[in-house]
Amino acid sequence: MTNSSKSNDATREKVAQMRAAQVRADRRRRIVIAVSAVGAIVVLVAVLVIAKLAGIGTPAKTAAGSSAASAAVTSALSHVPPTALDAVGTGSANNPPTVITSPALKQGGKPRVLYIGAEYCPYCAAQRWAVAQALSRFGTWTGLGQTTSSASDIDPNTATLSFHGATLTSRYVSFTGVETTTNQPAGTGYQPLDTPTAAEAALMQTYDGPPYLPSASAGGIPFLDIGGAYVSSGASYDPQLLAGKTHQQIADALKNPANPIAQAIDGAANAITAAICKTTNNQPAAVCAAPGVTAAASTPSHG
Amino acid sequence: MAEAKHIPAGAQPGVPTPTPTQSVPNWVPRSSVAVSLTGMVVAGYLTWEHFTGASTFACPQNGAIDCVKVTTSSYSTIAGVPVALLGLFFFAALALLCLPAAWRSRRPLLRSLRLSAASAGVLLVLYLIWAELFRINAICLWCTAIHILTIALFTIVTIAHALNGPPRNHQP
Repeated sequence: MTNSSKSNDATREKVAQMRAAQVRADRRRRIVIAVSAVGAIVVLVAVLVIAKLAGIGTPAKTAAGSSAASAAVTSALSHVPPTALDAVGTGSANNPPTVITSPALKQGGKPRVLYIGAEYCPYCAAQRWAVAQALSRFGTWTGLGQTTSSASDIDPNTATLSFHGATLTSRYVSFTGVETTTNQPAGTGYQPLDTPTAAEAALMQTYDGPPYLPSASAGGIPFLDIGGAYVSSGASYDPQLLAGKTHQQIADALKNPANPIAQAIDGAANAITAAICKTTNNQPAAVCAAPGVTAAASTPSHG
Repeated sequence: MAEAKHIPAGAQPGVPTPTPTQSVPNWVPRSSVAVSLTGMVVAGYLTWEHFTGASTFACPQNGAIDCVKVTTSSYSTIAGVPVALLGLFFFAALALLCLPAAWRSRRPLLRSLRLSAASAGVLLVLYLIWAELFRINAICLWCTAIHILTIALFTIVTIAHALNGPPRNHQP
């Protein structure tokens, strides 16, 4: 072998080694990028979980005299075991929604549930628990408030929720909650809060009384219109039942079917759920076919 | 002296040119197809539950765990299409894109499609985890299984692409 050919071989070998090194370096770089991408995804998931556990991102839009409902209260309210609701059935609740004949009330193509009440009102305080719990079976609450009824009215300081600023995210129904005043006295009444639209006020004017509801409750709150198919006015149980109870105690009681609070609130919630199911063509089936709901659907006012 | 196994166009004659690995390790097609098929089964179950009103869900309903709440929420559809159905299509597509023959192919389009699909899947998973934690306030165990499978698939595809080298134009 000549010196020239030896030199050429050495050069080729060197070039080959350099290229091999470059290929290895490129491969290492690609692997680092790939592992980093996977790591970034895992870190993002961890950040979401940690943020949730730390309570970041919980909306708070409340009126004077109210605060954001605690996550524990909202969770307990929204996750009452179906077995408990089924065991209660109609429970001790009365005044179920009354079937009416009127144009369908819809929003965004979905049946609309309209609630009109006020934060000072003790009957609204009682009924909100049932309304909120029933609707939680059709969607997810965000921005629920936590307040008490007026300190100077009957059944003072009844622990309750507030629909002011609350949103229900649901595939099945849309919800509008109108709280016309806070629980803070102002002049001869209470501080104003939400104002119903003209259409909402007209619905209340028309259906919150005879011939749809008893004259005794005419114009009363809380008023509930469920898809234009059912209406109710007033509470389904005596607010006295909640006297001295905290929000958490009430929410926690809902999972125990033997508890009188669960008998009242779960029973009322089943009746409201049954009415909503009639407007959603019994969807979702997992909710609308539940024994507690079907039992409530057979009450006289459900027609 | 190292022997050249493949000399791409433009290579210096006589100079051995190391090439990127020509095919992925055996575990890549096997694991990616297995994960895709498992995903298809779980997504298929969720799709079936979606269209039957989630009336027979094999999932606990207590506290933070509530499959019915998640799968009947407004976040269970995107532009009217059930997320579970999107998941079924996603895993079916990945199962095809991860067949051994597909992994052996050096077609840039195929590689890009596989990597893009896996990336899109994992982005959707991040969105759905956010929705479960911050909007629905409930966790669906079956959905969590889908999330884990999607991230696993993304991991396999991404690592395999890194091992497999950059895409080159297909030469018949």
